[in-house]
Amino acid sequence: MRLRHRISGWLLSAMVLIMVAFILLPVFYMIIMSFKSGAEIAQNPVGLPESLNFDNYRNALSKMNYTRSVLNSVGITLSVTVLVSFIGSLAAYPLARHTNPLARALVLLMALGLSTPNFVTITPIYVIFRDIGLLDTYLGLILAFTALNLPLAVFFYTGFIRGIPIELEEAARLDNCSEFRIFWHVIRPLLGPATATLSLFVMLMVWNDFTYPLLLLTDESKFTVMISVYRFVGNHNLSPSDLFPAAVLGSLPLLVLFLFFQRRIVSGVTAGAVK
Amino acid sequence: MRTLRRYRIFLFTLPAILVIGMFFVYPILLSLRLSFTDFTGVGIASDVGWKNYERIFTRSRYLDAFKVTIFFTVIVVFIQTIIGLFFAALLHRLPAVRNLCRAALFTPAMMSFVIVGYVWQFIYSPFNGGLNAALASIGLDGLQHNWLGDPNTALFAVAFAHIWMFIGYTTAIFLAGYANIPSEIEEASKLEGASNWQRFRHIEVPLLASSFTINITLSTIGTLKTFELPFIMTRGGPDGATRTLSLHIIDSLFGKYKFGFASALSIIMLILVVLVAFLQNRYLRSREENT
Repeated sequence: MRLRHRISGWLLSAMVLIMVAFILLPVFYMIIMSFKSGAEIAQNPVGLPESLNFDNYRNALSKMNYTRSVLNSVGITLSVTVLVSFIGSLAAYPLARHTNPLARALVLLMALGLSTPNFVTITPIYVIFRDIGLLDTYLGLILAFTALNLPLAVFFYTGFIRGIPIELEEAARLDNCSEFRIFWHVIRPLLGPATATLSLFVMLMVWNDFTYPLLLLTDESKFTVMISVYRFVGNHNLSPSDLFPAAVLGSLPLLVLFLFFQRRIVSGVTAGAVK
Repeated sequence: MRTLRRYRIFLFTLPAILVIGMFFVYPILLSLRLSFTDFTGVGIASDVGWKNYERIFTRSRYLDAFKVTIFFTVIVVFIQTIIGLFFAALLHRLPAVRNLCRAALFTPAMMSFVIVGYVWQFIYSPFNGGLNAALASIGLDGLQHNWLGDPNTALFAVAFAHIWMFIGYTTAIFLAGYANIPSEIEEASKLEGASNWQRFRHIEVPLLASSFTINITLSTIGTLKTFELPFIMTRGGPDGATRTLSLHIIDSLFGKYKFGFASALSIIMLILVVLVAFLQNRYLRSREENT
């Protein structure tokens, strides 16, 4: 009976693993195809490549402006993370510790930010940016991404700060610390883990988003990775030997990040959603 | 004086209020104002009253876009929830492979819409695309099809790519819900001799009510405003079969420079999203309380 139970468990596990592998097929397909030349794809559209041919990658790297756009994405991500974590945690501190009509109104304001689709605000943001000269600048993009991530950050930090014992603050208050000093020297140092999870989110968001940079940037030297992929692949009428290396190059940095931090990312997603 | 001091700490929220004001509140108000004009992005806008809205509600192409958006959302939310629940229920019973599978299922969500869109566009492509080639190699040539080129299958094909991308999210949230089910309840039902299916149907599904709420709400909002996949994969074609509301907004905005009209569409979209999210949330929460 027990043995039968165990064997059926193994069988079930094997079945699930096969199903999951099946779901991952497009990812393997993308990697396999990135090594095939156009001619090889025409002859042998699904099989393994004959040899590991890096010509596609060489071509994509030189034409995609890859290094520059990776640096742009990284720079923008870092700036957004710093801004979002500072502004977000600062706002979360009073929201976590006080419940009054003002706090409730602010929570509602954040909820509005969280549920507004990008599209509703993109036209006016475009117009505003054009009028004040923020179109086609790093600063404009950084501010737009900061706003996009801020509401979630506030909720995230609010939940986290509620978990910090209030006695720590009260002790500091007895020593006549100002509220800002309490925030900076007592609360802020404890927010490290929350900030780490949040940064992963921001990274994911900024790296993968293509709506804002598509609409707000025209200067090629400022393109983020996804816009480079979009321009490079889109211009070539979906030639597979351009598409697949570009897709691998565009996904790889984040997939590697995910590999290392997957537990943190998944638990962050579920905690963010469940709270 | 004391109340003043009590509120002084809310000065900390000022930067956040400024950012939210500049990027959400003011744009929404500006959108509302622009939606009653014929603004083209340059020059002076003149008032046109309700004309933009009238256009939206009387032209069949916009009503079709509504239908496409809603239909797309319904398919995606329904199938994604079922598959996510299926994987979560299985993985919950298989602790040995749980973490590995959860991470693997999550991988597509780490990729960008642009990349997912392009890769799937190629998989669906009629000539040497992965799907048709795979069908041929297992002898099912008869099933080969121009997936994105046929108005009858295009929307399903795009929806499938969307579902593929977010299965991991749904599964992870359901698994978090499973983790919250007290083990005593499961032990007790096992002792009572309940079968796997009975346990799933009568114990797990009711106890997962809040996970259902979160999953359905999140995927509904996310899918309603979808733009990237249809934009990349089909540009709204063939024959408008995948032209969603948000695709119309981008098209009116940057294709035709009809800022006033795009604003009216945006306002309608905002109302749609808020309304659907509100009604759905209320219904799902009342369902939670009844179980």
